[in-house]
Order: sequence, then C-alpha cells, then structure tokens
Amino acid sequence: MATVEYNRIGKSFGAVNIMRDVSFRIEEHQFVVLLGPSGCGKTTLLRMTAGLETVSEGDLMIGGKRVNDVHPRDRDIAMVFQNYALYPTMKVYDNIAFSLEVAKVQTDEIKRRVEAAAEVLNLTPYLQRYPKELSGGQRQRVAMGRAMVREPSVFLFDEPLSNLDAKLRAHMRTEIRQLHNRLKTTTIYVTHDQIEAMTMADKIVVMRAGKIEQIGSPDEVYDTPASKYVADFIGSAAINFMPGTVVTGEGQPAVDTPNGRIRVLPGAAVKPGQKVICGIRPTDAVVSDDGPIRTRALLVERMGHDVQLCTAAPAGQFLAIVDRSRPFAEGVEVRFDAAPEKVHVFDAETEMRL
Amino acid sequence: MAVAQVKRIAISDSPIPWLAPLVALLVVFTIYPLFYNIWLSFHEYFPRKRAIQFVGMQNWQQLWEDTRFWSSLGVTFVYFAVALVFEIVLGMAIALLLDAELPGFGGLRAILSLTLVIPPAIAGMMFLLMEDAQFGVLTYILNSLGLLDKTTPILATSSTALAGVLVAEIWQWTPFMVLIFMAGLRSLPAEPYEAAMIDGASAFQMFRRLTLPMMSKVIAVAVLLRGIDLFRVFDYVFVMTSGGPGTATYTLSLYAWQQTFSFIKWGYGATLSLVSLAIIMVLANIFIRVFKVRW
Repeated sequence: MATVEYNRIGKSFGAVNIMRDVSFRIEEHQFVVLLGPSGCGKTTLLRMTAGLETVSEGDLMIGGKRVNDVHPRDRDIAMVFQNYALYPTMKVYDNIAFSLEVAKVQTDEIKRRVEAAAEVLNLTPYLQRYPKELSGGQRQRVAMGRAMVREPSVFLFDEPLSNLDAKLRAHMRTEIRQLHNRLKTTTIYVTHDQIEAMTMADKIVVMRAGKIEQIGSPDEVYDTPASKYVADFIGSAAINFMPGTVVTGEGQPAVDTPNGRIRVLPGAAVKPGQKVICGIRPTDAVVSDDGPIRTRALLVERMGHDVQLCTAAPAGQFLAIVDRSRPFAEGVEVRFDAAPEKVHVFDAETEMRL
Repeated sequence: MAVAQVKRIAISDSPIPWLAPLVALLVVFTIYPLFYNIWLSFHEYFPRKRAIQFVGMQNWQQLWEDTRFWSSLGVTFVYFAVALVFEIVLGMAIALLLDAELPGFGGLRAILSLTLVIPPAIAGMMFLLMEDAQFGVLTYILNSLGLLDKTTPILATSSTALAGVLVAEIWQWTPFMVLIFMAGLRSLPAEPYEAAMIDGASAFQMFRRLTLPMMSKVIAVAVLLRGIDLFRVFDYVFVMTSGGPGTATYTLSLYAWQQTFSFIKWGYGATLSLVSLAIIMVLANIFIRVFKVRW
C-alpha cells in the first residue's frame, strides 16, 4: 500500500497545455475517484500516474518516492483499462500470469496466485479460454485478475465499467468496492459517471478542463458543491438553477429570482445587490401551497416510490422529485419551496460557491 | 426483346450469370492448360515425325532416374528456404524499425516500395553487373572488405553463384515483406502493449508474446504468397547464371523451361512443371493446416 501525491502537476502535448497545477494527496488504502466529463484530463492524469504519459511539470510521488522518470513496471502499480487491453492471443490463465512470468516468479507460486485470483473473481471455469470467448463482464474480471495477482501498492482503473450494460455495471461496482474493502489497496478510479463516483469513492476529485474543481467525500461534493459546475455534475437528476439578485428581507438574506424570492442561509457570504445563481436539487424541492416557486406541471413521471415532476417555471424548466402521496396532474399549478440550508448560492460571475 | 432478356437475367436469383465470365476465364486459361499439361505428360513430341505420340509412363519413369531433375529440385529447395528465411527475418526487422514514428521514416517507407517497381529480370541484370568479376561494385566491396577472394568471380563459382542470385532475390523482395508486415503492425491494438509495459515486459518479451502471435496470420499469408513465388523462381537464375556454373543454380522451373523450349521435349517439360505444381500444392496445404491460416 502506498500514498500517491500530485505536486503541481502539469501536462502539455507539444505547445498545447491541457493540465496545470494539479495538486492533491491520496492516503494509503483510500479509494479515490477522478470524476469529470470527457476531455477534462482525468484519464491523462491516471496515465501519468501509470507512467504511460510523461509528466510535463511538477512531481508525482508514489509511496513518498518521486516517480516522474520511473518506468511503469517499477512503479508498483497495476492498471485496468477501459477496453480491458487483454492479451488476445493468450488464454485467461496466461493473461493473468503474464506479469508474474515476466518477473520470473516460480511456476507453482504463479499457479497458486492465478488460481486464488480466479477464485475471488469467479473465473476458475474460464482459465483455459481465450479473451474473445468471454463476455464483457468476464473480460473485465480477467483484467482485474491481471491487476490483482501483481499485488501492487496502487490500483489504477480507467473507466473500467463503461463498456458494460447497466445491470452488470451496478454489479461490478459493488464487486470492485468489496474487493477494495478486502485488499485495502490504494485505488485511483477514473470515471465520468457520477453514480460510480458517489457509490464507490472515499474521496472524489472533480476535474474540469485540466484543473481540480473540488476534492471531497461523496457527501461533501453533493451537499456543498464548490461551484455551479460541480453542483451540476453531481446528482442524478440535474439540479435546478435560477439567476437572481441578493436582497435583505425580513432580517434574513434572500435572492430575488424570476421564480420568486428564495430564502438563503444567513451564513452565506452574500451582499445585497449581488448577482448570484441559486441551485435547488430536485430532491430538495418541497411542495408547499404558499411556496415562492410557482410552476405548471408539464410531465408527471411515476418512478415507483417517487414522482418526478417536470414543470415550467418563469426561470425555465424546474425539476422536482417528490413523494407520491399527493396526486399530480399535468397542467395544474404546483408551488415549491426549499429550506434555506438546501439552497446553493453561487456567484453569477465566478460561478463559485458563496 | 433483347433488353427484356438481359433484365431477366440480371434480376434472377441464379448466380450463374455472375459466375459465368470468371468461370470461362478460368476454364480457358487455367483448367484447360492444366488438363492439357497432364495429358501431355503421358505423351511426347517427336520433331522428326512432327507429331505428339503417346508414351505411357515413360516421362514419369525418366523423371525418377533423372539426376539432373533431383539436383534442380535440391537447388530449388535451398533457394526457396534461404530466401524465405532472409525475407521474413529481414522484413520483420525492417518493419519493426520503420514502424517507429521518426522524422524521415515516411519517406523511407515510400522509397522502400520502389524495388517492387523494377521487373525481376531487370533487377537480375543489375546484380549481374554489380557482381561482375571485373567491374562489379559488389565484387569490389567484398574484395575490399576481404570477404571475397579476388580470383573468385561470384556468379561463375559453384560455391558462390547461388548466393549471388539470392542477393538479388532478397534485395528485391524483402521490401514486399516489409510492406505487408508494416500494414500488420499498424493494425495491432496499442492497449495490450501498454498493459504489458505495466506488467513489466521487456521489448523482446512484448515482441515474442504479443507481436508475433498477433501477427501470425499476417506472417502466414506473407509466407504463403512469397513461398509459392519462390518455388517457381526463373527470372533471376535465367538472366544471371542460366543455371550455371554446372548445375549450381539450376532450378526446377529453369529445367522445365529448357526441356520444353530448348530441347522441344514437351512431354517431359510438362511432367517437370506438374511435379513443381504438386510440390507447391502439398507444401502450401501443410502450411495452411499447421498454421491454421484462414482467408
């Protein structure tokens, strides 16, 4: 197990700089997810960690040692690739055993380790098959087996579940997390899927255009998003934004928006007259007969336990997830309110949290 | 009415109208000559009588006892094996080298294919001049390096003549292998190599465990194409040595050609080329089975 430390990391391809000043630290045993849309630099950062890309600036430390110029094989890492990158001409057994054979581990020790990994990953019946004879989920597990047998001090995952169907993805998510709970190997996991990030991570690093937007636990990034961007990216039903101006009403700060006057927490660093953006998560919108947000229901989607209401508000579409105890009909007026502590306020200019 | 008929053929489900032209070509230019050849191998042309007469198994019997045939078969095999090994190994080495994206390599790759534009007979002539005992540049270089005795003319010495011909062959056809191998290398996925890099494999281990197995189909096809061509070698030996000195470079094709066209022994010439065909077919089939080549 090892710590991983990024110290003012930058990356350029030729004259094009795609990453600058990335610094954070991953503790031993931590499961860290790098989250962001495609092109944000998360995969590049992971590949730099693996040694598949050079580090243009800064220091990359694994286990306290600077590894910028260390060959991938000497970094004591193992990587699971997005498209698995299995060796197509080797059987499953040899795929998993390859790194050990290369390291000249004794044959019976290789056999023991491969079989142990296969057992954990339910691959025992498939050891004599070729990768092309396996399903996507099985290939995924072979790739993990290949990483596991090396007993590395850091696991790197590059969007490992993106080629699987939804059900298998959910299943593999739990398997990977359980595996981590058992092995406790420091893990860096890249994904653009915020659900994967929320469910698996100890710590989420949200990235945007080669920079870190926020680092925090899943709860932290969900409850106190550092920027409008993070608020928008995290959460499965997209957050509702509305522009507005800060006013002081009834001794408590509030924001006048096209959707009405929305109360915000006194603690928020806002000044009267300031242009801001308010964000309310669909799950935090409460149906209230005298609520400030007046909307007209456009679509009522019953999702079993909850009802998702897609409504038209003065500031545009407003989404709410409410319990199904009340009957809703399309076309009728619904009014919402939100508790001040659930209203996220961002500066209209910088889009940072206030 | 003619238009209606054409239309009916064109829209019919029958494959015959589509296959007919090709089948006709095959019949006229391949199948008929093949059977004529087989028929001819049981006959012989007698110039004095100006007639082809049935001779039964005589040609085949003669073949069995013909030391010239056996020696030409031996030369052909040596030529085939040496050229194939050199072309594969050199071709692969150069392909791996040129696969690197270095400045100027694009131009090199283009230049490489130029040897294939030269007709083999002309290439043979070029090497004939270069290996000339008096003024050949290759002779001069080998002499200067002390690799060749000044009194040894390359193409007129039994021990060096075949090597002299092989140089031309390998020079001209290695680039063909390079092009095929390079196309194969280009189509290999990058990710397994990255995985192998992390797994700690050396460049040689990656080549042996990843590149070679992944390239096996490409290599097999290249070997098959080149192998068939090599076995019927004619042009280089014809222009460079005419089979000499003695029988040192006398290949099977050359022998069949000589029997047919110089000695007007059509029947025996046909027999020799049939043997050549049979050997190629057997070798190719064994190869296809062993290496599980699928087209």
